[in-house]
Amino acid sequence: MSPADVAAPARAAEDARYAPRRGALGRLLRSELRLVLGRRRNVVLLVGLALVPVLLGLVLFLTRDTALAGQGPPFVTSVTSNGLFLVVASLFLCLPFLLPLTIGIASGDAVAGEAAAGTLRYLLVVPVGRTRLLLVKACAALAFAAAAVLAIAVVGLVAGAVLFGLGDLTLLSGDTIPLSAGVLRVAGVVAYVGLSMTGLVAVGLFFSTLTEVPVGAMAATVVVAVVSSVLGQLPQLEVIHPYLLTTHWFDFAEMLRIRPDGGVLAEGLAVQAAWVAVFGSLAWARFTTADVSS
Amino acid sequence: METTAPVPGAAPEDAASPAPVRRHRARWAVPAAAVVAVGAAFAAPPLLATADTAGLPEVTPEELVARVLEAEPQALSGTVVHTARLGLPDLSLAEVGGADPIGLLGGSSTLRVWTDGEQRSRVSLLGQASEYSVVADGAQAWTYSSSDDEVVHYALSEADRARLDALAAERAAAPEVAGDLPTPEEIGRAALARAEQHATVGVDAATTVAGRDAYQAVVTPAGADTLVGRIVVAVDAQTWTPLRVQVWSSDDAETPALEVGFTDVAFAAPSDQVLTFSPPPGADVREVVVPLPQHPVDPPAGAPDADALAEALEDPTAEPPLPEGVTVTGDGWDAVVQVANVDVAGLLAADPAAVAELAVPQKTFGSAGAQELYEQFVPQDGEGPVPDLDQQALYDQLTTPVEGGRLLESSLLSVLVLDDGRVLAGAVPAQTLLDLAG
Repeated sequence: MSPADVAAPARAAEDARYAPRRGALGRLLRSELRLVLGRRRNVVLLVGLALVPVLLGLVLFLTRDTALAGQGPPFVTSVTSNGLFLVVASLFLCLPFLLPLTIGIASGDAVAGEAAAGTLRYLLVVPVGRTRLLLVKACAALAFAAAAVLAIAVVGLVAGAVLFGLGDLTLLSGDTIPLSAGVLRVAGVVAYVGLSMTGLVAVGLFFSTLTEVPVGAMAATVVVAVVSSVLGQLPQLEVIHPYLLTTHWFDFAEMLRIRPDGGVLAEGLAVQAAWVAVFGSLAWARFTTADVSS
Repeated sequence: METTAPVPGAAPEDAASPAPVRRHRARWAVPAAAVVAVGAAFAAPPLLATADTAGLPEVTPEELVARVLEAEPQALSGTVVHTARLGLPDLSLAEVGGADPIGLLGGSSTLRVWTDGEQRSRVSLLGQASEYSVVADGAQAWTYSSSDDEVVHYALSEADRARLDALAAERAAAPEVAGDLPTPEEIGRAALARAEQHATVGVDAATTVAGRDAYQAVVTPAGADTLVGRIVVAVDAQTWTPLRVQVWSSDDAETPALEVGFTDVAFAAPSDQVLTFSPPPGADVREVVVPLPQHPVDPPAGAPDADALAEALEDPTAEPPLPEGVTVTGDGWDAVVQVANVDVAGLLAADPAAVAELAVPQKTFGSAGAQELYEQFVPQDGEGPVPDLDQQALYDQLTTPVEGGRLLESSLLSVLVLDDGRVLAGAVPAQTLLDLAG
């Protein structure tokens, strides 16, 4: 089918937009969520993420009486004494690469995947404007990001409770807080990590509107996350560190200090909001002005 | 809802018409506006924060120093940023091991401070996912390092505590803690308390620190030879609490070699929960009994300035002057402390506190055999006769070999460790130490 053939029905759809049918947006969002969360590739990604706490928990469980016990990166060493730390340790291990990778795949696929499959023009037939269509895509990508973080957290909590049991939480400052307060702190960690992914979702969505090759958009998104963390390692670039996408990701540790400083957490979230504002508006400008030919 | 019709297909007649093109350009103005708005939102607060300090009454240097020294220490909590540009070799070890006082030797560190202004305080050095805390609670103190889950408890012996109670000590008998953390109010007070001896004090233009108006006292050392150019202490205009200390090296007029200052401070009593500490279950607790000096208030005669500086730098290689075998050459800021018969390697190994301070990550080997071999040579708790390998490496990394010993050079302090067991330290150029050593 040549682009010229496509133009006529697509134009009709654009015109139909002026008389939107009630509930079209809600239906589109529901179907999009079902599609994204039910897509086999995405389910495999979520299962893969959920396996991280299980594997980590099993390894720590099997080695806990050996000489290798109590060694490893921060939080991992605390898991054997309190299963609650399995959630934090798993997030800590997934945050640098695995989580951005899966979220990059889902958000980079959002628009480019439809374009590659030739379904984007049919999507434009739906009586929903392009802005709202992009919003639906963004919501679906965010939902996947939330699902990814929650998959790690929930499986980590269950695996931690089963393997090591839950108990009073020892904070980074050495003070101990009761289990109920500890669960709230860990929930705060999970929420912060989830919200820290919003900037990356916006970046992925923008790349996704640029190309019809989903792999390109996915790779570019992951590259942004990796380059950002590499730049974060260079002391020469200290000036730009506070504004990088990844700099504040690990500030979730603030939740585990004796007095969490709201300012530190707010700064991290403000940086994410800035990335969402810039790349969200770029994605919007691109998607609403692009010629869609496939 | 959209009001403009985007071009859905590659329709030639639409592409040729100017109106959609213009609308398309208008759309791209939105992300441009977003960039500007975001940039403004991040750049504006620091610019707006420059408060007006014109209303502050004038103060003479003598008055300023007197007010600071007379002021009651305040209950406060806040965030402190400690930045050291000492020109030391890069210590990559510190980043691997999490929050550790050794990290204060270079780069920027963030600390949280809580104090009730009397005998209780907590200072935490924050790492990315770790924390090192020093909690002083009257006559006892705790340190906790989250990276190795180790608690060190410093307390007086029973007899000493009884003696202290009998004395009803006026001055807080907080025990010396290995790996103590610096705070602006302590360093600032110490700097001003010693200022009048061998330095001139001036007043610089008022400034703003952590959003509070502050006077600036400038302490200029009288010595001609010292590496310390000047020390600038910013003092809160309301409570007379030092809020920021900048130590300028004599070779660098651009940036301070050492800067410790509040970025955020609140003068309110912190809760008891923050000021008390009990070891977490499962942590290793090491007890250290701190001897009470026979003469409670009797600072060593030797150059207090160099000593204070060494403390401020948290320098693990600069041992505090010992009563025996200590000689001091020069006075004031030019003073060089010379300690004879120091077995540096032995001292580092035998002093568990020093070992704790230099704690490095646990070493793991792939094979059990290698692990056992390593453990034979390096005791796990770091208290054995063999110095920790990494500690030796750290020492080698920080110092450079010179004829007859090793030299540590930084922009504020020089330490010369001689093979014959003498250690010379002072806030003077390295050449002065080499000349003195002969």
